[in-house]
Amino acid sequence: MAGAGGGNDIQWCFSQVKGAVDDDVAEADIISTVEFNHSGELLATGDKGGRVVIFQQEQENKTQTHSRGEYNVYSTFQSHEPEFDYLKSLEIEEKINKIRWLPQKNAAQFLLSTNDKTIKLWKISERDKRPEGYNLKEEDGRYRDPTTVTTLRVPVFRPMDLMVEASPRRIFANAHTYHINSISINSDYETYLSADDLRINLWHLEITDRSFNIVDIKPANMEELTEVITAAEFHPNSCNTFVYSSSKGTIRLCDMRASALCDRHSKLFEEPEDPSNRSFFSEIISSISDVKFSHSGRYMMTRDYLSVKIWDLNMENRPVETYQVHEYLRSKLCSLYENDCIFDKFECCWNGSDSVVMTGSYNNFFRMFDRNTKRDITLEASRENNKPRTVLKPRKVCASGKRKKDEISVDSLDFNKKILHTAWHPKENIIAVATTNNLYIFQDKVN
Amino acid sequence: MLGKGGKRKFDEHEDGLEGKVVSPTDGPSKVSYTLQRQTIFNISLMKLYNHRPLTEPSLQKTVLINNMLRRIQEELKQEGSLRPVFITTSQPADTLGDDYREAQPAFSHLASSPAHPADLVNTTSLESCLTPASLLEDDTFCTSQAVQPNGPTKLPPPTVQPEKDSFSSALDEIEELCPTPTSTEAVATAVAAIDSSKEGSSESNIQKPEGPQESRTTDSKLMDSLPGNFEITTSTGFLTDLTLDDILFADIDTSMYDFDPCTSATGAASKMAPVSADDLLKTLAPYSSQPVAPNQPFKMDLTELDHIMEVLVGS
Repeated sequence: MAGAGGGNDIQWCFSQVKGAVDDDVAEADIISTVEFNHSGELLATGDKGGRVVIFQQEQENKTQTHSRGEYNVYSTFQSHEPEFDYLKSLEIEEKINKIRWLPQKNAAQFLLSTNDKTIKLWKISERDKRPEGYNLKEEDGRYRDPTTVTTLRVPVFRPMDLMVEASPRRIFANAHTYHINSISINSDYETYLSADDLRINLWHLEITDRSFNIVDIKPANMEELTEVITAAEFHPNSCNTFVYSSSKGTIRLCDMRASALCDRHSKLFEEPEDPSNRSFFSEIISSISDVKFSHSGRYMMTRDYLSVKIWDLNMENRPVETYQVHEYLRSKLCSLYENDCIFDKFECCWNGSDSVVMTGSYNNFFRMFDRNTKRDITLEASRENNKPRTVLKPRKVCASGKRKKDEISVDSLDFNKKILHTAWHPKENIIAVATTNNLYIFQDKVN
Repeated sequence: MLGKGGKRKFDEHEDGLEGKVVSPTDGPSKVSYTLQRQTIFNISLMKLYNHRPLTEPSLQKTVLINNMLRRIQEELKQEGSLRPVFITTSQPADTLGDDYREAQPAFSHLASSPAHPADLVNTTSLESCLTPASLLEDDTFCTSQAVQPNGPTKLPPPTVQPEKDSFSSALDEIEELCPTPTSTEAVATAVAAIDSSKEGSSESNIQKPEGPQESRTTDSKLMDSLPGNFEITTSTGFLTDLTLDDILFADIDTSMYDFDPCTSATGAASKMAPVSADDLLKTLAPYSSQPVAPNQPFKMDLTELDHIMEVLVGS
């Protein structure tokens, strides 16, 4: 495994790290979501303080063939503010749960960002020219006395320093009683869905005062509640199809053409439990924390606590591939239950060609699985390897007693250092990996 | 239901270590299974009831923990470790009218005398014993306060309690009646009572301290208060009375939460904590002097409330 990465022997190199260096993590700086836009030129992060930071890849320098463009800060704005729910006397966190980019239609960029209750559509536009030569205004904006105007001129645009402005164009509020966990833009680019613990709503991007409820699993008697929605996503190609996952390890595929309220699924994906692995925690670790369609739309990937599963949409009774992320934790489930780590929601992502999948783990480790070669690799996001173009060394966790050199034993893992959010550039081998408060960017080695 | 497969030893030197639960049927490992189950049960309880966040707790987490507790409780039921004194729901609720018919099952256990030997609970009677918090259910705005004043009337016959402050009446009940033989029940039920009240739910939950003499099992009592979590946090039409909670539960003695699983190595799964019922009563006693303002029952349309809030917030 030495040196061999996932996917055609990719060698991953450190490229950049963003964020504070010190170990003392400010709560507001905790990264809560990472997302590339459709071209990969922009990389957005959301944090617990309600801020969105967008990085832009600099244009590739023709002379610099040994690395791809670096990502630099493009725009920073406060997306959500903390609110107070007076009815329940509880705070509404400003933490950004998800960011989703819209495909670019004109010069401006649009993204949806959401916290627990409110979704906002942001327009990010550039301004690099400004009008000069007004007749009635001075350059600094003061109005001129009209009587002093003797000649007229036509104002012209002159270049100025690039300014990136973010403005909220739509605010979609008051549609969710429970906490929003997912947003997903439809392939029609006109509608999107938002999902909370018990309901999924369908919105039109232009209309903020109305949304359609398309899934509702709230029982009449809340006492009977045993299952919640954990994630939802639209199919990348079929605008009528979406899936949602549950805390019981099931995924339901729904067709909006079937009925207005898609309470009855078209397909139910569930793997029967392995009786030999049964434990008290079987249900909890089966809870799906993320679901992602492949770019092709033929497969979907789910992440539960210990594994990543690839499902063929045509086969409901079991996944076609299963990859163990950190099976060595199975014996520690009780402790992980006690310290709440068992409820950590890891995300997962596909590479652009759907050949490799990636997900995070503890100790700032993240894992990649090559679906073709069936090889996997564990890498670490750490400032120790922070020289650009340093090839990352594969890591290994040893579960049993005999620890080889360079291996880490399970008990030495730092469970506070968790990688929950990762993103893969849609076209290139560039990945963004978020530790608690730092964003790492890795690239494959370009010779 | 859980781990009834092959036994597996916990051996650190084995490769491929898996934390499988040992089968409860095996002799020497049965104790560790029970021990583990009890530990998990305790941890789950602590998670549900110790948490007092500023923001709404995660519904997913709450649901998963609740499911865990229910499963353990089911298993205990099946193993017959429940005390065989389950009461049938015979309490007539007619006196209270329709509003309180949901309250009736919750208090059905108060109906019969403690000495009444009943069969092992069947699922239906258990599930019909809903927490009073179920009253808080519904998108339509309803308050538990409407139920409270009549709470005391649910007390066991022959005495039909007059309407009075429900909290002090509950405390009176505790002091009148004998504590249960097992400390766990008193602890658990009181914990359940305290904590379900902590959720800001109706004071009818305070009725729970009477549980000890009712011989409800630890688990079923806790079962009752569990689902209440959903309501407190998710009901949109319920004004939580935080000040009341702060007064009542600010200084609660949490030493009972320091469970030490090692002490129950004998396999007595029912022993939860080295806190006797008396200790618990002492913690409750000071609160009896607290003036509990009877909550005004009021019904308001949810949209009306929204409107009012909008006006107040000026949005």
